[in-house]
Amino acid sequence: MQFIDPERRTPPESIVPMINVVFLLLIFFLMTAQIAPPEPFPVAPPSAVSDSQADGDLILYVNADGLIAFQDIEGEDTALLTLQHALDRHCKVESCASATPPVLLRADGDVSAETIAALLPKLGSAGFTAVQLITALD
Amino acid sequence: MIDVVFLLLVFFMLASRFGADMHIPMQISGAGTGYSGPPRLVDVRPETLSVNGISVSEDGMITALKGLIDTADDIVIIRPREAASLQRVVTVMGLLGDAGFSRVVLVK
Repeated sequence: MQFIDPERRTPPESIVPMINVVFLLLIFFLMTAQIAPPEPFPVAPPSAVSDSQADGDLILYVNADGLIAFQDIEGEDTALLTLQHALDRHCKVESCASATPPVLLRADGDVSAETIAALLPKLGSAGFTAVQLITALD
Repeated sequence: MIDVVFLLLVFFMLASRFGADMHIPMQISGAGTGYSGPPRLVDVRPETLSVNGISVSEDGMITALKGLIDTADDIVIIRPREAASLQRVVTVMGLLGDAGFSRVVLVK
């Protein structure tokens, strides 16, 4: 007696549900994500409990060694000068009479706090009225 | 087409930063209304704290400062010492914020 094995064929995986899922993910990422501007160097902000969201385009980076950068310009004096120019350009378009746009200070948690303390009055004299220190959640 | 969609998906996963950043508003010294009342100077060292030069614990700092203010809007000055890290200072600022001190100024 001969048994003939029935020919087993795995059904072809239908591709349509996969496309659906991938599209869903794509739309999810498009909606939730904001494109991160490239950082001049990696920075690990200090952790703190805070419930206010940072909002602004002018981001000043300070790394653990106290190196200050704005956009891709490193070095304290040149970075602050470029930051001030960015503020001036902004103020030509929009009025800065009541409040200037905030500076987002993205500083590493390991940097000496005296560096930050010395930086704040310089930002004040550059014309800024608001500084937001970026923190990470625990 | 699925290739292109996957490519886009991977691109956005890599290029994006998730969640908005949180922040602490910093007072710029020299801006805003002036300082009044007795000195309220908190020295932050890597391990210890002192209020007006007297070493205190974290709870003792709050108690000491409460005795020196009239309203919660009074300015408290924080001065990092001996290369205290920013994380340390932010932690102390968090303690002060929890205790109701709304205006904390970081000075050198």
